Amino acid sequence: MDALVDVRDMKKIYNPGENEVHALDGVSLQITRGEFVAIIGQSGSGKSTLMNMLGCLDVPTSGEYYLDGRDVSGLGDDELSTIRNEEIGFIFQGFNLIPNLTALENVELPLIYRKVPAAKRHELAVESLKKVGLENRMDHKPAEMSGGQQQRVAIARALAAKPPVILADEPTGNLDSKSSIEIMRILKELHEDGRTVILITHDNGIAESAKRIIRIMDGKIEADYINQNVQEYGGAKKA
Amino acid sequence: MSQFLEYIKMAFANIRANKGRSFLTMLGIIIGISSVIMVISLGNGAKNVITESMAGIGAGQIAMYSSDDTGSYQITSDDIDAIREQVDGIKGVLAQDSASGSMKTSKGEFTVSGIGTMPDVQYFDKTGIERGRYFNEREYLSGQPVAVISEEDAIRLFGSTNVVGMDLDITFYDSTITFTIIGVQKPQDSSMMSFVYEDSPVQVTFPITVFEQIYGTQVDSFYMVYMLAEEDADTYRITSEVSNLMERRHQCKGEDIYQFENFSDYMSIVNTVVNMVTVFVSLVAAISLVVGGIGVMNIMLVSVTERTREIGIRKALGAKTGSILVQFLSESAIITLIGGLIGIVCGIGGAYLISGIVGIVNPSLNFAPAISIPAIVTASLFSCGIGIFFGIYPAKKAAKMSPIEALRRM
Repeated sequence: MDALVDVRDMKKIYNPGENEVHALDGVSLQITRGEFVAIIGQSGSGKSTLMNMLGCLDVPTSGEYYLDGRDVSGLGDDELSTIRNEEIGFIFQGFNLIPNLTALENVELPLIYRKVPAAKRHELAVESLKKVGLENRMDHKPAEMSGGQQQRVAIARALAAKPPVILADEPTGNLDSKSSIEIMRILKELHEDGRTVILITHDNGIAESAKRIIRIMDGKIEADYINQNVQEYGGAKKA
Repeated sequence: MSQFLEYIKMAFANIRANKGRSFLTMLGIIIGISSVIMVISLGNGAKNVITESMAGIGAGQIAMYSSDDTGSYQITSDDIDAIREQVDGIKGVLAQDSASGSMKTSKGEFTVSGIGTMPDVQYFDKTGIERGRYFNEREYLSGQPVAVISEEDAIRLFGSTNVVGMDLDITFYDSTITFTIIGVQKPQDSSMMSFVYEDSPVQVTFPITVFEQIYGTQVDSFYMVYMLAEEDADTYRITSEVSNLMERRHQCKGEDIYQFENFSDYMSIVNTVVNMVTVFVSLVAAISLVVGGIGVMNIMLVSVTERTREIGIRKALGAKTGSILVQFLSESAIITLIGGLIGIVCGIGGAYLISGIVGIVNPSLNFAPAISIPAIVTASLFSCGIGIFFGIYPAKKAAKMSPIEALRRM
């Protein structure tokens, strides 16, 4: 079984020397292509640090990280940029859309950095926005959209470049429950389409919608189990 | 290349999104470039006027003087004839002598500056004769008291310009000579070069041979003569030929007794002075460009701080250090380039405005600014260069940001 994400004994130490903080203290985990994994932990547990490492936004102090078979733990800034661009689709808690740009332009952004020609870029971006049901909001700026719509634009942006990994960091954290249900439904669909989705959250209810749950505490993996009872998020509220 | 265009597009989009601020940032550059363009245009315009009016008076003129003060190497009438006959490309040669006198007319009493000269004076006068003519060879040789005066003086003396044929009784050193006016000179084109005051002497030009009646002897040797080259003649060749001829005639080969001053030498001195003034004032104006550039740098620094999050997002999505650098650099370069272009337009407009105002305040100083294409091209490139130079620091700051740091900041 070839692991898409393969982390071995990863450590991250902030402030080496005095006041050392072991944000990650020997984490090892493998995620296979097509999995839907929730990484759950309280704030301060090290889940954000793990998310930065998995997303190639930061490099570990020690340990190895193979992403899609490639060792990325020792790469430089520009190489990491390329990896992020090609391998990872980010969905952030705060949406992180660029306010000056329209929905379409925001979705095109990773494609620009991937040097996709303009016509192809437009096509991919439109396709991606259709997938999240925003084909009639393409020319709207983020400020002209609701939080849920903004997060859908962010999902479209994460999908546009067709990266193997979708990394969602508290994607529903800033949303009302109705929008949250919508976003979780889209993530589930992505998983059903065969994408690898990694969901980082502190919310058990959200985590329950994933097939595998990794619980992290004090920089260590506390539990890693298959969720036998996958719940449709918000399903309970509907009932 | 196409990637580069993408970054330029991003830069444009951002400038458009912040129109007010972008304009204020440009203001320093606009002021700097427009003042440089204005100074250069006005300086060149003034230079053209000076050159033209001086060329009108003296182009092609060569003065020759004897540097010997014992009097034994003076230039004689025979020398003048020899020059006229033996050197090619000379349109006219003359020597002149002057004397002060006085005269009375119904309009009052006037002092007179009498200038005795030779028939070739007609070639030296670039403005020409309004009425009548200059004296001819025959009148010159026979010493006829015929006179040419200027239009302004005609009006002062008689209240009219229609004075050809009238007599002037002028007293030089106790001897009174009756001159007949045969010509009236046109007024000078450029009033920059001619100043007539209420009590400045009346200028009367007549054959130098008339002095014989005043002094009792012929005026036949001179310290200085003036030559006028044909329009397409080489004044340096003429100078050296005349020099050789004079040294041969006076047996003073290689002694450098005869010195020459070419009018174009004066012109180049005047041009150098005007150029230096223009360059100096332009440099002063260019200081405001540097100040403008620092303004651009400040705003770009503020912009980088404000857009930290945007930079973080772009980096997370795969922007490399170079992409961010190019994006921010193009932004400052475009801002200063647009500022520069607006500055060029304002500068040209300002130059015309100033020359217009000067023309209204003092019509005699009226001149058109000369717009110099090299100055415009240089100004555009320079303003763009300022944008890049002063944009480097903020752009580097932006490009070096770590994506997590940038994303964490709200």
